[in-house]
Amino acid sequence: MLQLLKIDLKKLTSYRTFWIICGLYFFTLLTASASGMEFLKWLARTIEGFGQSINIDRIPLYHFPDVWQNLTWASGLLKIMIGIMVLISITNEYSYRTIRQNIIDGLSRKEFLVSKILTNVLLSVLSMVLIFLVALVTGLIYSSRLDLSYMFSGVEFFPAYFLEVFAFLSFALMLGIFVQRSGLSIILLLNSYLIELIIKENIDDYVPGLIKFFPLESISNLVPLPFARYAFQQIQDYVSLESVGIALVWTFLFNYFSYLRLKRSDL
Amino acid sequence: MATVLSIQNLTKHFGKIQAVNGLNLEVQSGQVFGVLGPNGSGKTTTLGMLMGVTNPTSGNFYWFGEEPTPQLRRKIGAVLEHPIFYPYLSGQKNLELNAMIKQCPQENIPKVLELVELAERKDDKYKTYSLGMKQRLAIASALLNDPTVLILDEPTNGLDPMGIAEIREIIRKIAASGKTIILASHLLDEVQKVCTHFAVLKRGNMVHTGPVGDVGGGAETVEVNADVENLNEVLLSFSGTASLNRENGMYLVTMRDGFHGKDLNRFLFDKHIVATHLVTRKKTLEKQFLEILAESH
Repeated sequence: MLQLLKIDLKKLTSYRTFWIICGLYFFTLLTASASGMEFLKWLARTIEGFGQSINIDRIPLYHFPDVWQNLTWASGLLKIMIGIMVLISITNEYSYRTIRQNIIDGLSRKEFLVSKILTNVLLSVLSMVLIFLVALVTGLIYSSRLDLSYMFSGVEFFPAYFLEVFAFLSFALMLGIFVQRSGLSIILLLNSYLIELIIKENIDDYVPGLIKFFPLESISNLVPLPFARYAFQQIQDYVSLESVGIALVWTFLFNYFSYLRLKRSDL
Repeated sequence: MATVLSIQNLTKHFGKIQAVNGLNLEVQSGQVFGVLGPNGSGKTTTLGMLMGVTNPTSGNFYWFGEEPTPQLRRKIGAVLEHPIFYPYLSGQKNLELNAMIKQCPQENIPKVLELVELAERKDDKYKTYSLGMKQRLAIASALLNDPTVLILDEPTNGLDPMGIAEIREIIRKIAASGKTIILASHLLDEVQKVCTHFAVLKRGNMVHTGPVGDVGGGAETVEVNADVENLNEVLLSFSGTASLNRENGMYLVTMRDGFHGKDLNRFLFDKHIVATHLVTRKKTLEKQFLEILAESH
């Protein structure tokens, strides 16, 4: 297993595009997470009355335990960047035909796929750890109450965030294996949310109960949008086991479809 | 001699196209086996199936008498079609990666780079290499795991005469070390120079297999012409005639073993016929190849 991860990392770590995209991704994770207060100040300046009716300094954006859900939700938006990196990594194997040579050299198709999946796991873990550290630091800076049980209520958003990123990267990997062309697959990845939105909106009137089972919807549902609570609205401030279940099934299916496709295709 | 590769009834269809059709073949240890055939005859498809990248429609093959597995492929060095490497990695790093895949020690790398004379350029990116260097790196990669079998598909494709000579020299060196080599090519000269055995594919069917040594020797063909009407009857009555054909207004006599042109000349003379034309054809692999392809229509 570890050997397979090492093989894929060997391919990536000398690839400049990988460092640029990953660097940008992790850098954006940092800056986007850390700039929340500035964003609120900007909102207060631009939106009439925003700063008056709610004092922005009293919005506990970075306070424990709100910070966990706030930051995991916000960083969830950036997973598209790392998804594009995954697409480039897999479609390169097709355009360079190196996937063929890897198999000739003695990897099985399954091992090849596992090496890519393990890299996805690693990228998801790194994203999770980074966001955890950012949330921990900002939380420690802003929060006044620092007893452990209070601080760490809501850390279940981290495994949920991990699953969110990993499920999405599995989706990207599958897309790359089916489409095999980098440009086309990136456009499809960017459009997949819109395509799903169109379908969702059109079936909303007939079978609204189905919507939570949609693949990208189920990934987004893992960490629900938290910010409405600052407008005194009821939000889901926990990870629902149902959404975890649905996302897990999709994650398994994405990787299984990749496996079936790889197994059957002539490379 | 141990059987390295045994192919039984191997078939591959791409939709309606029959790329390989019920192929049966055996390769013995130590042979340098040439696979010949025109473009599109199924050479690369066959090798692709043997190396696990193309799924056979039906049929079986066995490496070293065993069902094919990825582990077995690591014991085989193969370059199919053109060299394939990561363009942004150096030659050295590409080989390091291949050593990880083949699970062989990294210490083998300098040795194979030395053999193909790429040691000086090993730290340059693969994409900066010339075609000849790419081909040589591919051979180095195939040799990395000290394989007992080497598969080369058109290893001299697109090379200049010097490059061809270099690759041929490398193949000779490898063959001399006792490895089994399977060499697909449409360059017949190539195969005749390095191979011990060969098979001919045509539209997915195997139309001939045998030792290369038989090509020059064996049956001799003699072109004959003379100003007599019943020349074909006379030629057929010659005890050394195996078969008789007409070509360009001449008779082509295929001789039985042990008979030569001079025997035919003497026979005709004894019959009071003076040949106006009598040439013993030297058979090249090219000649035989074209013959085989023509016969198999």
